[in-house]
Amino acid sequence: MIAAIVAQLGEWTAPVIDWHALAPELILVVGINLVLFIDLNIGEARKWAMATLTGFVLLAAFVPVVTLAVIGDASREMFDGRYVVDHYALILKAIFLLVAYVVVLMSQNELEEGGYYQGEFYVLMLCSVLGMVMMASSRDLVSIFVALELLSIPAYMMAAWRKRDVRSNEAGVKYYLLGVFASAVLLYGMSFLYGTTGSTKLVEIGEVLASGDLIAMQVVAIAFVIAGLAFKVSAVPFHSWAPDTYEGAPTPVTAFFSVASKAAGFVALMSLIFLAFPTATGVYQPLIWVLAVLTMTVGNVMALRQTNIVRMLAYSSVSQGGFILMPLAVAGTGDASQSAVRAVIVYLLIYAFMNLGAFAVVIAVSRKTRSGEITSFGGLFGYAPGMAAVMTIFMASLAGIPPLGGWIAKFNVFKTVIDAGSGAAYALAVIAAVNTVIAAAYYMRVLRQVWMMPAPDGDITPLATPAPVTAALGITAIGTLVLGVLPGLVLRFGDLQDLTGALGR
Amino acid sequence: MNVVALLAADPLLDGELRWTPLLIVVLKVLVIFVLGLVGTMFMVWFERKVVAGMQNRIGPNKAGPFGILQTLADGTKLFFKEIMNPARSDPWVFRLAPFLAFVPAFLVWSVIPLGGDFTEGRDGTVTWFGQVTRVQLADPPVGILLVLAMSSIAVYGIMLAGWASGSKYPLLGSVRASAQMISYEAALGLSLAAVLLSAGTLSTAGIVAGQNSLSNWNLVATGFVPFFVFLVAVTAELNRPPFDLVEAEQELVGGFHTEYSGIPFALFYLAEFMNTITMSAIVVTLFLGGPQPITIGETTLSIGFIPGALEGTLWFVLKLLAFLYAFVWFRATLPRLRYDQLMDLGWKFMIPISLGWFLLLAAIRTGDANQWNPVVVVVSSLVLLGLGYLLFVAALRVSARNREREGAMF
Amino acid sequence: MELLVFVIASGMVLVGAVGVVAMRNPVHSALGLVLTLFGVAVHFVAMEAHFLAAVQVIVYAGAIVVLFLFVIMLLGVDTAEDLSIEPVPIQRPLAVIIGVGTVVLVGTAVIRTRDTIARGPELEASGDSNIRLLARNLFSDQVLAFELTSVLFIVAVAGTVLMTRKQKRVAPDRDRVGS
Repeated sequence: MIAAIVAQLGEWTAPVIDWHALAPELILVVGINLVLFIDLNIGEARKWAMATLTGFVLLAAFVPVVTLAVIGDASREMFDGRYVVDHYALILKAIFLLVAYVVVLMSQNELEEGGYYQGEFYVLMLCSVLGMVMMASSRDLVSIFVALELLSIPAYMMAAWRKRDVRSNEAGVKYYLLGVFASAVLLYGMSFLYGTTGSTKLVEIGEVLASGDLIAMQVVAIAFVIAGLAFKVSAVPFHSWAPDTYEGAPTPVTAFFSVASKAAGFVALMSLIFLAFPTATGVYQPLIWVLAVLTMTVGNVMALRQTNIVRMLAYSSVSQGGFILMPLAVAGTGDASQSAVRAVIVYLLIYAFMNLGAFAVVIAVSRKTRSGEITSFGGLFGYAPGMAAVMTIFMASLAGIPPLGGWIAKFNVFKTVIDAGSGAAYALAVIAAVNTVIAAAYYMRVLRQVWMMPAPDGDITPLATPAPVTAALGITAIGTLVLGVLPGLVLRFGDLQDLTGALGR
Repeated sequence: MNVVALLAADPLLDGELRWTPLLIVVLKVLVIFVLGLVGTMFMVWFERKVVAGMQNRIGPNKAGPFGILQTLADGTKLFFKEIMNPARSDPWVFRLAPFLAFVPAFLVWSVIPLGGDFTEGRDGTVTWFGQVTRVQLADPPVGILLVLAMSSIAVYGIMLAGWASGSKYPLLGSVRASAQMISYEAALGLSLAAVLLSAGTLSTAGIVAGQNSLSNWNLVATGFVPFFVFLVAVTAELNRPPFDLVEAEQELVGGFHTEYSGIPFALFYLAEFMNTITMSAIVVTLFLGGPQPITIGETTLSIGFIPGALEGTLWFVLKLLAFLYAFVWFRATLPRLRYDQLMDLGWKFMIPISLGWFLLLAAIRTGDANQWNPVVVVVSSLVLLGLGYLLFVAALRVSARNREREGAMF
Repeated sequence: MELLVFVIASGMVLVGAVGVVAMRNPVHSALGLVLTLFGVAVHFVAMEAHFLAAVQVIVYAGAIVVLFLFVIMLLGVDTAEDLSIEPVPIQRPLAVIIGVGTVVLVGTAVIRTRDTIARGPELEASGDSNIRLLARNLFSDQVLAFELTSVLFIVAVAGTVLMTRKQKRVAPDRDRVGS
């Protein structure tokens, strides 16, 4: 590769830039500066406007995503195939922008009433979203790493946003230290990959790895890369930061972490597995198999024992991560490679809706109860039947009960694993099935409080849910319901361009 | 022989390594070492004498003719003093620090072109003992970056000296010093970038070779602004007046080396004055053509009776003396800045202006390459930069207002 | 000669790295880190990556570790920590096991593959070619990642200012979903 560069040292040609394909990123960059500058110049009383502005920035970034999808000329490549905007990337960008929008809706009142810095919060969130949007298109180790840092570093600070609270500080520090450690492991693995293959471009790495037997350093490299990303998706045994960080961080931030940051980690994992390591099935499949089994089992068992709703959701999100890992554990076997990407993306989308929704309910209810205990949901049906209904939707969906979105997601995952048809795959399916049953137990425990128990202190004044949170609840509830009833929407969406094909192979 | 390739830019070291070139290199090392020490000695005397003259005093006049041996006497005295180790010091770091200050100061000498034959359009190489070589110890491809690297290492000497003394005033002095040096390193680097943009190379010999007439001197070619920024930044980097908050006697006793005595103190003292000389030499190299004679159009101001190989050195020394005088002049006339003024000057004035100027130069170059209308390029760049500056001013005003309203937020 | 430089530089790296971990005093650890970074810079020079070597010294030794030292000195944590109390007894042996395990893993991987690792093409070190190569790569293939790194600076600046700032105003701690 270096020789090739030396050869072309002669003339310099500026890289061709497809402005339309880069538009979402550029709009976000402009938006970041705009929010930063306007925030500087407006008075304290009007800071709430920053949330609105951020919402508009996100919607504006959504526009080019839609136009690119409508124009639909399969894929636009830039920088010698290092940055690709195809259907896979567009769907993921859409998910990230949508999640961010919902999180903005959820955070507006929280930040305003809590007396926190608002403008800077949205700036950091937009930066994080920029990293995620970039991650969706990155097909190169360097840009994957930059994207990962861009999405993580703001997140470390957002976790510590409640500065007076020791636990928020702890959340930030824990997330930061472990996140940086994970980045170091990832980078170490990446440097081995570059050293043994001579390229940072995923497709070229894939070609070199496919061209012969894996050498020992490449095996170590793949293991390190996967371990580094496992931190980001909080897979067991790299999950220990997650519950403390989720509990300590402000609740909307927790929602953001558990959905968007995690999804970004999965995106990186997918890009690497399908483009760089497709032939290294002997290395990554067993690794991810073990990770998936451990993650869903440990997450579930720990979630069973929690009494705090946020910690429970934290462990539940760990275990959901295990389900999302399942298709990747069999991605190279039999027919599964065809459907694995789709299964993951569909799961990510539906998981985004239902998990964000659950957090929105927690925010809405805790505004009144000022408590994070699961028992504080007692009597919710009595004084807020609407809220009880949406909570039921989200919990049932997370548990995977038809006809809700979560069921479609789980169904797809199982179908992929069965498609793989190997012994390991069947074993994985059985373990996952057992876990689904365990998971149902703790989700139902929440619903039992909601529907059957009395309000803990007899306080049955109705909830005063602010409009943005209601909107967030509406979006997520409708999403969860519609995707459950009309799964064809996303499944077709997955077929548009068979996604593994869209990844450039 | 990969390591030797570091020096390969010097024609002396092309091909087989033989004895004559090796001896020349050893000779160069010796000369530079001696020259450095003697030059420093001279500099101390020069400074004291000039300051004395500006203050209507006589200055050192006892030891030797014009008191020129005064430094030698002082040095001898220092060498016989007892070396004190304060009780609360960190013995290992305390002993290490002077060397960390002194060694980088010396190493910078190795990349400075000290002379060369530039008569009749020659490229600065000279022939010694049948070997073609340059009048500089080494010409690595990253030449000028080595200078930056060394100046960033020098920070350690000061910082660790203050910390290891185990005493409050030195610690404050060293924190001030290192904060100042780091802050001004940014401005230093940015104005340097303007020079590199015009020279197109990092090698010091290359930078000198490019400045073959007065209009090609980077002083002119980069439009004076980087030169002034560089000069101020260098003064701050050297911790010399008016930026000598590091050793502000009224506040900090003696600064970071309060607790040092004997030879370690002598090393700090030497390093300080040697840095003054090397930094002046860097300014001369970067902006004033180094050992190049002054050429205006076709006419070269040549000193007739001196052989070409020595003429470069003479020019270099002349230019160097001008800057040494300027530094002494600063010291004698300018009052010391307050700490916040120092930081404001660095961060809010020097960095933006050198960055803006760099962008302007880059825009003009791009315009030249693409044959755009130069007036349009300059005007539109200026408008853009002005807009950026307005944003910057707006931000500063808001922060000033907030500070007034809410008090310090930190 | 090449071997000699390699051995010396590697010695610097290893001694520095062990020093970072083993020293009791944080300032000494930071100095160990400087030694390691210098060793890496020497390796870069030996591999004719002069520009990287210079940048390594300027950025890492000259800026980053200096900031470490600042923090250590200004926060007054420059005295040895008391490490005798152990909250989780198993973690130290575990750390040793994992550390040694990683070294053994990577070590065996390197030893097993030392013949098969493809040697990169030799670059002739003609003057500025290194820098030109780097610039070309950064501003063509990696330009997007390079430019977006600047957003990272906004994040760093905004975040640092916020984290060091006092809390805006005292409000009831209402969004806390704690126990």
